[in-house]
Amino acid sequence: MKTKMLACLALLIACGFGLFVFADSHEEEEMDKLVFSEAYKTVAVKDGGKISGVVKFEGEVPEKKKLEITKDQAVCGVTDKFDESLVVGEGNVLKNTIVYLMDISQGKDFDKEAKLEIDQKECRFDPRVQIVPVGKVLTMLNSDKATHNVHIFGTKKNNTSVNKQQTKNRKKMRLSREGVAKNAEGPVEVKCDIHGWMRAWIAYVPHPYFAVTNEKGEFTLEDVPPGDYKLGYWHEACGTNNKEPVKVTVAAGGEVKQDFMLKLKEAK
Amino acid sequence: MRSRNIVLAALILGLLSVFNLTFAQDAPEVSEKGKEVYEESCAHCHGIEGRGDGSAAENLLPQPRDFTRGLYKIRSTESGQLPTDQDLFDIITEGMPGSSMPGWETSLGTNDRWEVVAYIKTFYEGFKEQETPPRQISLEGKIPYSEESVEIGKILYTQFACFECHGNLGRGDGTSAPTLEDEWGFKSWPANLTQSWNYRGGNDIDDIYKRFIGGIAGSAMPMFEDPAFGLTIEESKRYNELDSKAEMTETEEEEYNQLDEKMGNAYEILDLMADGDATEEQKQIYDTAMKEFNVKSWHLANYVKSLSPEKRPEAAIGKNVLRSQYTINELPEMADAAWETLESSYFPLVGQIIVEPRQFNPTIDSVNVKSFYNDTEVAFLFTWDDRTHNTEVEEDEDTGTTFEDAIAIQFPVKVPKGPTAPKPYFLWGGKLPVYLWQWKASAADKITELTAKGINNAEVQEVQGNIEAKGEYTDGQYRLWVKRALKTDDKKDLQLEPAVFVPIAFSAWDGANGDVGTKRVISSWYSFVLEPVPSSRRFIYPPLVALLSFGLLVGLREFVRQRNT
Repeated sequence: MKTKMLACLALLIACGFGLFVFADSHEEEEMDKLVFSEAYKTVAVKDGGKISGVVKFEGEVPEKKKLEITKDQAVCGVTDKFDESLVVGEGNVLKNTIVYLMDISQGKDFDKEAKLEIDQKECRFDPRVQIVPVGKVLTMLNSDKATHNVHIFGTKKNNTSVNKQQTKNRKKMRLSREGVAKNAEGPVEVKCDIHGWMRAWIAYVPHPYFAVTNEKGEFTLEDVPPGDYKLGYWHEACGTNNKEPVKVTVAAGGEVKQDFMLKLKEAK
Repeated sequence: MRSRNIVLAALILGLLSVFNLTFAQDAPEVSEKGKEVYEESCAHCHGIEGRGDGSAAENLLPQPRDFTRGLYKIRSTESGQLPTDQDLFDIITEGMPGSSMPGWETSLGTNDRWEVVAYIKTFYEGFKEQETPPRQISLEGKIPYSEESVEIGKILYTQFACFECHGNLGRGDGTSAPTLEDEWGFKSWPANLTQSWNYRGGNDIDDIYKRFIGGIAGSAMPMFEDPAFGLTIEESKRYNELDSKAEMTETEEEEYNQLDEKMGNAYEILDLMADGDATEEQKQIYDTAMKEFNVKSWHLANYVKSLSPEKRPEAAIGKNVLRSQYTINELPEMADAAWETLESSYFPLVGQIIVEPRQFNPTIDSVNVKSFYNDTEVAFLFTWDDRTHNTEVEEDEDTGTTFEDAIAIQFPVKVPKGPTAPKPYFLWGGKLPVYLWQWKASAADKITELTAKGINNAEVQEVQGNIEAKGEYTDGQYRLWVKRALKTDDKKDLQLEPAVFVPIAFSAWDGANGDVGTKRVISSWYSFVLEPVPSSRRFIYPPLVALLSFGLLVGLREFVRQRNT
């Protein structure tokens, strides 16, 4: 009797473990994404604080990989292109990292002046990482005398897979109809299939406390209502800190300095 | 007050539900039956949870669809829209030619297919959240197929930049073809438009039209937009003409600027329309431009239609058997126009899935063959489509390792006597050996003779005979010309004589598709014959017989007449 029970227990544990492993593989995908607060309310922010810092790369910086330009040399091959999945500047500063507040529930409104644009120039997306507020329209520019196709990948939450040709004659294309995300999500991948090396990322976000690091690895989040927050980051090659976000406390009118050291994601 | 609110709420709710009802889809409510059918017939490839990860998925390319993202390739709906229930039903019913998705018309009843439609929709939340039916592609303004329309479409094919992926002649060999992937990161190849029997969503002109208006979701195929929106076909032609000029005169520059402005204006209106901010006047410009775009798109669809035979050609058996034509002259060289006078014989090829490593996802559809012979020699012209020209082994971090393209033409060493005599095993022989002509893309003008007694048991012949060969690759197609003497001194060679049916078979390798060694495409045995020389006696006997019968008739008539008088 006892052994039977033990066997049953073992079976149950095994099943549970199986489920756990199974669930884990789903979670892994989520680990590469941003984390969003459940709800967000826009309020007037008085005496907001500031969070700023520098993101640096830790470890041996891989050699810059030159991209092979396989077509449209006259447009795409004017200058050398490099793989931009990891852009490390002098002093190991890391560009294109998203730094953001994970759990903010109220704060300022989006900057209405902010340009929501990605340019296609010399067969390269600029910027590589673009923040787009949920419900807002992204505009694609084409500065090239070449035909591109704007391919924004579809996701589970948003049926926003966009794949639209943008010919050399169309300098500007607003993705009003098909490209507007209803839900916060991302970052999602953007590519041009015609020029297979072109890559960018779009994050659809529910609040304005998102920053992307510049060439100097710097980021700034301004007008943060006083309080305790979880500070998160995302980088396409270095991953996220979703498991251990940094806790910061912002005082009224105060400034918090928080730097990050990022390592390459472990190869799966 | 309160009761009024409740009534109001009830009314609104009622209205909402009516609204929901008016958006009636065709599929029934989700049922246990749908789940059951799905798990029995679909889950092996598409996975229990619809993630496209069933046990058989690993070996398939294109990969079975992952239903959890709501991305469906073949739709009657606009870009970014979900498919209609009917779209899903049709795909299940008809399958997807050129992929591993079979049609289920004969193996699943109509009701079962509808139940499955309802069930696969549960894998993606977006279906439930739809408030309005998906916007369908309008087929209004269809332009009937004509030579004229095809001619216009041909120009548009370049303007719309189709060639970037599909290649200049539509063989799927565009310069962007090697790097294409789908949204799951799997390799995907642009369609070879000259083989419409492999179009996933059917080859009606309407089907073709829907594919480029709606795009193929999840793949590299985008939704197409007018490359010269707001301009007529004539104007866009002129615009491109001027655009490609190194230098323009003043009047030309003025003309160019005018067209450019007209187009820029129309594009801006396109954005305004999408935002709902256009004025009446702008709406009119938009309507005119859209009509013109539809006209262009139909011409383009007609052109694409013209690129392929309606049906897959019949295989080279029976009346289509490969007949080498006798000529009294020298055999034509590769570039000779004489080849144009012959019909091709079509040899379909399939993935080799008997011996490891196997090819489950072949990319070479077939090889076409023509042949001439004279009293001493025979010449063949082999053509086959391959999207990429690979002449060596290349390692690439992103696209993986690619190999060299090649073909091998297989004959028995000894021609079996009579149709019932045993042939060697079709896969490069066995107990009975085969004689092979091997050709590789790196040495385009060379044939190597092999003898094989099995797919992994081939030997280069010690004595290499005098075989002339010339190979070339243009616009996604290989052409290989081979000439050899009918008889040779080598016992290991095939010896040919007229009027004897000789078994022939093929192996081909598309290096970019990972073909190497046993991983390749193959055919089973077919046969060819040196068509017997028409005898000169045909000019003597038939007239003689005719004359005799005529004489006999005349005699008979005389005989009857005389007897009657």
